[in-house]
Amino acid sequence: MSKTTDDAVRQADDAVRQTDDGDVPLAEGVDHQVAMVMDLNKCIGCQTCTIACKTNWTESGGREYMYWNNVETKPGAGYPRDWEEMGGGWDEDGESRTPGELPDEEDYGRAWEFNHEAIMYEGSDEPLRPMENADWGPNWDEDEGAGEYPNSYYFYLPRICNHCTHPSCVEACPRSAIYKREEDGIVLVDQDRCRGYRYCVEGCPYKKVFYNAQTKTSEKCIFCYPRIEGEGPEGEVRPPSCAEDCPPQLRHVGFLDDEEGPIHKLVNEYEVALRLHPEYRTEPNVYYIPPYAPPQTSESGETVDAERIPRNYLEELFGPEVESALNTITREREKAERGEESELMDILSTVNNDDQYRLEVFDDGS
Amino acid sequence: MMAADDAGIGGDESDDDSGIGSRELAVAAALALAVVAATAAFPAVADARAAYEIPVERQSSAGDLAEPTGDAWTSVETVDVPMSSTGAAVPGGAETTVESVRVEAARTDERLYLRLSWSDPAANASTDSLRSFADAAAVQLPVSAESQPPIAMGSTDNRVNVWYWNAADGTESLLAGGAGSTTRVPESAVETRATHTGDRWTVVFSRSLASDRANVTDVDPDQDVNAAFAVWEGANEERSGQKAASEWYYLSLGPNEGGTIYETVLWALAGIAVVFTTLVTVEGVRRTRGE
Repeated sequence: MSKTTDDAVRQADDAVRQTDDGDVPLAEGVDHQVAMVMDLNKCIGCQTCTIACKTNWTESGGREYMYWNNVETKPGAGYPRDWEEMGGGWDEDGESRTPGELPDEEDYGRAWEFNHEAIMYEGSDEPLRPMENADWGPNWDEDEGAGEYPNSYYFYLPRICNHCTHPSCVEACPRSAIYKREEDGIVLVDQDRCRGYRYCVEGCPYKKVFYNAQTKTSEKCIFCYPRIEGEGPEGEVRPPSCAEDCPPQLRHVGFLDDEEGPIHKLVNEYEVALRLHPEYRTEPNVYYIPPYAPPQTSESGETVDAERIPRNYLEELFGPEVESALNTITREREKAERGEESELMDILSTVNNDDQYRLEVFDDGS
Repeated sequence: MMAADDAGIGGDESDDDSGIGSRELAVAAALALAVVAATAAFPAVADARAAYEIPVERQSSAGDLAEPTGDAWTSVETVDVPMSSTGAAVPGGAETTVESVRVEAARTDERLYLRLSWSDPAANASTDSLRSFADAAAVQLPVSAESQPPIAMGSTDNRVNVWYWNAADGTESLLAGGAGSTTRVPESAVETRATHTGDRWTVVFSRSLASDRANVTDVDPDQDVNAAFAVWEGANEERSGQKAASEWYYLSLGPNEGGTIYETVLWALAGIAVVFTTLVTVEGVRRTRGE
């Protein structure tokens, strides 16, 4: 992309992102907006976030199949299977919703029963395995990726609800049972108002609202709001479990409109944290640092000056801005390599949790 | 008017025979009487059911009215109520499948029974999987019995009660003041029994006539009450505003079954006019003859 085009894109983006007075635009009626940045270069696909979320929120009661946080392999079909082809979101002018589909149970994968009882207590010497036919599940296509040996490629994509600024799930509900919380923009389903119509499940293009067939209501990621309100362990303010329990600590959590915080710097200043599928136009508040991979190698094992993960694939996921984001990161990394100061590299490589999680900045006053 | 003309024509024919005069008089009197009698009888015979009327048959005891296939329903008049899509602003809001519902109504001194029956080749009685939606039906009544709120779930200042049944989760009593505001009334007094036989659902809704709380329609056995009906076809993923719904009908509970007071007054005036014209004509004939 030429510099002129770069500038044009950046100016257009600025128009969208910045209001006249320089404030970060938030959804109407929302005081602040929680946000998360995930650095895909750090994700090792261990699913600790998935399990942290599951043990907190979705272990039982009709939630067995739900993964409010999941980690899927990209390229890959994802969770639920082929969710990117199920519609939802907004059309080009951002005013009409695009029709969406309800996934099938099989697309999520069933919560299998295992033969634990037989093996642990009844002395069976069968291998431990699901007791029913298991032919699909979350991250079933783990590490398959794409490309040909020796230049095959894949990376992991952790996904939670994006707590969007322009959420199509909220718009889809004819009863206003799903709403954006005023204080921090967390999107919640009012379990008393929900009548299980599932328009939100259809309407979310990321398929991050789930129908609970036992309670007959829809449920979703709550951004661990009790934890960020200080109702978590030891009565302290803590980031969502998926972030805090992550072994490589790949997530930053804070407020998009905290202009001194890392989220604002990564998203709005350096513009290296990008939305997944911006073309769905729901304006997610979960952002991703796009992944790098080792360069390609020749058949003889020599390093070749060619990117392993095709740029156009990354553009499909993160939009055209991925180009300048990767260029900025490369530039800043080279600065750090030369021993120069790089605020961006400091933010991305911090091991200080206080820098990563800034959740109490608005506690006084507003 | 026909009676008067007939009498007049008869008068012309009777010029040369004074004996016919008294016969004509008798005919005129008989016709006048017939018209007066028709005033009372005609609405009940020729116009037994007014448009949008659901006759409510009073029964001395509940018998098996609560049963969808109860014998007590045999004598109750059936009204075939046409329905169409509400066109609500939800996906598929204009795509519904059920075109009419048969409605029957009966009451005892204590309870109101409504039997709804509609064509549905297969029962969808589960909401246990992501893509399954249950067949459902509802009766909508104004909270304030004498009013007629906007048909689509009423409005903020003119609310509706909804007796809602679905094949998976049973019965709910709901309160709504406009689309999207539906709220469950705790401890519903509405009872339902349903059966799917052949290719039809039959559901009986019943509730005590008297309301036990605020915002629940108090059904006065001496006063008509408006009612509308809706059906959802689960197989077509119908839910929410995607439903086949009727216009407002009324449950004919009041004393003037078969017509309104206004209709009766018109008929009585017509009768009086006919008698008066007949008498004037007869008097005219007499004078012409110089009697």
